[in-house]
Amino acid sequence: MKVVPIYASAGIVGFESPAAEYTQLGLSLDQLLIKHPEATFIGIACGDSMQGVGIFDKDLLIVDRAVNTKQMSVIVANYNGEFICKLLDKNRRVLLSANTVYKPVSISEIDEFRIEGVVVCSIRNHDMPFHELTECMR
Amino acid sequence: MYALVDAVSFYASAEKVFDPSIRHKPVVVLTNNDGCICAVCPIAKTLNIPKFEPYFKLKKYLDQHNVVVRSSNYELYADLSARMMAVIGRFCSEQHVYSIDESFLLFSQKLGNWREYGELIRSTVWRETKLPVGVGFGMTPTLAKVANHAAKKLVGFNGVAVIDNLEQAEYILKQMKLADIWGIGSRLSKRLALLGLSNAWELAQQSAKKMRDFHSVVLEKTVRELNGEVCFSWDEVKQPKKEIFSTRSFGQRVTDKFNLNSALITHADIIGRKLRQQNSKVKRLLIFAHTSRFDPAYIKREYIHDFVTPTSDSLNIANAVSALVDQIYLPNIQFYKCGLGALELVNASFTQFDLFELSREKDLLMRSYDAINHKYGQGTLYISSAEQVSQWKMRRALLSPQYTTRWLDIPKIRCI
Repeated sequence: MKVVPIYASAGIVGFESPAAEYTQLGLSLDQLLIKHPEATFIGIACGDSMQGVGIFDKDLLIVDRAVNTKQMSVIVANYNGEFICKLLDKNRRVLLSANTVYKPVSISEIDEFRIEGVVVCSIRNHDMPFHELTECMR
Repeated sequence: MYALVDAVSFYASAEKVFDPSIRHKPVVVLTNNDGCICAVCPIAKTLNIPKFEPYFKLKKYLDQHNVVVRSSNYELYADLSARMMAVIGRFCSEQHVYSIDESFLLFSQKLGNWREYGELIRSTVWRETKLPVGVGFGMTPTLAKVANHAAKKLVGFNGVAVIDNLEQAEYILKQMKLADIWGIGSRLSKRLALLGLSNAWELAQQSAKKMRDFHSVVLEKTVRELNGEVCFSWDEVKQPKKEIFSTRSFGQRVTDKFNLNSALITHADIIGRKLRQQNSKVKRLLIFAHTSRFDPAYIKREYIHDFVTPTSDSLNIANAVSALVDQIYLPNIQFYKCGLGALELVNASFTQFDLFELSREKDLLMRSYDAINHKYGQGTLYISSAEQVSQWKMRRALLSPQYTTRWLDIPKIRCI
């Protein structure tokens, strides 16, 4: 997100705005949510298997490749040529969903499996459907 | 110590970053308008796919071997390049980005183990950007480039090579062709072969002075650098261009004057921008349009325009071009390509003005124009006669999504 600082001024004559000295950059969501900009990408969740950790269909996922995984991290992995989002149970070497409908997936030798990054946060739209949001960001 | 870090088959590797389904498949990338193959990934290289061959000639072969073919996705490559350079930059306080996928590092201090450090750079770039890179360390920029070549092409190096003494330089140079040395093209290497030189090591053994007489000061410096003497500085590595060209083939043939004009004006705009970027002005401008060389009758139209006062003002260049379109254009000709070349450039700081012709440069306007387009994206402001008509825009039929720069294209992550 680009922030354009605009300095207040009182026009041609008159006093300078007393707030002019205190101008700062506005709050930036990037600054808050993205710790490693070059290692981070944004994806879109497709499906309901991660509802238990608060990730719903069409939510935005902020994925950081520089963060180390921990037991039960929410990860994005390349699983047989597809990006999937799962909970990583390192101890048992299985991928868990956060929805009882879906069974755990164990990683076998023949599977292509590589961790792509950790979902450091997800973004949920409450009032504006995703397609409307993207329309204005074309 | 210098290092050169560059991506392995950058365009093809970039295609794999956000498409895990093709990570283990052969991938090639096509040039503008899907004309030729310009990048071949290591897996595709094992199929002996040559670079710079016309796509249509190889299409059948590529299909037979299930090769993934992609148009050039410049938006994606620019973003991934910036990310890669930022990661590499963390490893050294002095970084010089040399091209979209190559970056030099200059280390003023000695490190304990260069090889280990190179491996750390490689694994970090891979982890954070999913781009494979090769790392070469050398006592000079040229030797760093040599080491980088060895890291990627010679057996036993696995992506990192270090040249920190002349014995190691000899070992690697003996395995390298002349044309693989930085700055030695195929023509010069043929001339050197006539002197009886057969590999890079034999070139390094030549007297530097003799090489200057034989060809140029640059060749002399190359020989010195191969022997560990630093001769090139960043400024020389990145000289202002002596000529600037902007050309492109049309997505579909152009037959009317209006479209030809708007294409040429777009090139005028690009040339102006590039001139201002390097603080140059153009004195002599080449304007051309031609049909395809494969057409039964090849027709080429070109004119040279000399500016009384050198200019870098896009509007001045556009006016000159517009005035010449009538002479370039011929009815009933299917133009395949057009473009402009700024042939004679002068330094903008030392421009000679004309006594009688007042300068029409609108420097302030151009500065604002560049600033706005830089801030809000190229094409936010443009010359209205350059209005893009889809007919001559780039053809990119096999384009991958712009995963990191367009919201509608962000990667899908399955939660099922």
